[in-house]
Amino acid sequence: MTIRADLHIHSCLSPCGELTMSPRAIAAAAAESGINLLALTDHNTARNVPAFAAACRDQGVAAVFGCEATSSEEVHVLALFEHERDAIEFGDEVYATLPDVRHDPARFGDQVVVDEEESIVATLPKYLIAASAWSLTQLGRLIHGRGGLFIPAHVDRGSFSVWSQLGFLPVDEYDAVERVGEGRIDTGDLPVIAASDAHEPGRIGCRATEFEGAGPGFAALGAALRERRVRPIART
Amino acid sequence: MRLSEIKDALGLEILLGSPDCEIAGAYTSDLLSDVMAHANEGDALITIQAHNNTVAVASHVDAPAIIICSNRPIPESMTDAAHEHDIVLCRTELNQFQVSGIIYAALR
Repeated sequence: MTIRADLHIHSCLSPCGELTMSPRAIAAAAAESGINLLALTDHNTARNVPAFAAACRDQGVAAVFGCEATSSEEVHVLALFEHERDAIEFGDEVYATLPDVRHDPARFGDQVVVDEEESIVATLPKYLIAASAWSLTQLGRLIHGRGGLFIPAHVDRGSFSVWSQLGFLPVDEYDAVERVGEGRIDTGDLPVIAASDAHEPGRIGCRATEFEGAGPGFAALGAALRERRVRPIART
Repeated sequence: MRLSEIKDALGLEILLGSPDCEIAGAYTSDLLSDVMAHANEGDALITIQAHNNTVAVASHVDAPAIIICSNRPIPESMTDAAHEHDIVLCRTELNQFQVSGIIYAALR
């Protein structure tokens, strides 16, 4: 079957994500736009993963779990895991190294953790857009240490990318790169994915990654990346 | 100017290489793509970007030394890279502004 994956999405926990981006709204919007494999990737935390997992189960959409970690170079990196627990623990490790800068919701937007019923159960006090203490290389090791996928985000974008921060893609053990089609950066023969980076429900699935597999899930995604069978697509 | 001439003023901790290293000038930036585009050969690189990619960029622009500010922790991969590229690696508790000011005055 053809699997259509959107692997970069922000919920209401990311300060830049709309409050309407509850895990339930995300799963529903994904199902509606024909996405059958979904990842939640909030900035530097995976605390909305439990609600996201429940919402995806209810919608019948397969899910992988992760976050968008910020390296010390201020490069964004997608970290995707098979198991909720790995995502949450990795997210907590990243969050612990963020500088102790108090979040100001009035200025930067809300950072709310919600439960399966969409009730707000917590707000995260540290500003999530800050950089973690770990370099790109160190993040890669931590992600692989938990069996995850290490994917530099929007590598050809003009901000928070390897292109904007470093000017090049350093040699490392990436599983793929996410491209948005802006700048020119050499990524060799690495598999290229596309994703919506949605911050509002209407954007979910506007870019996605397709591949063939027996069924949507982490194993099928990993195999498609290793075998370079992924196709980035954009909705016209 | 030798790095050793400003070692005390900056409170430099030399982590790798020799303080006899000559610097012609310095460039201050935390954006490595900017360093790559604008630093000159012989400049010391003043930055808080403490990781191995900083070494790669310093090597690319022929910067002989990297000064890591604000006592940022330096991962082993950075020290290894500096060793490999023969770049002097040092650290100070002063920030980028203070280090730049001291080196600017010393070079005048």
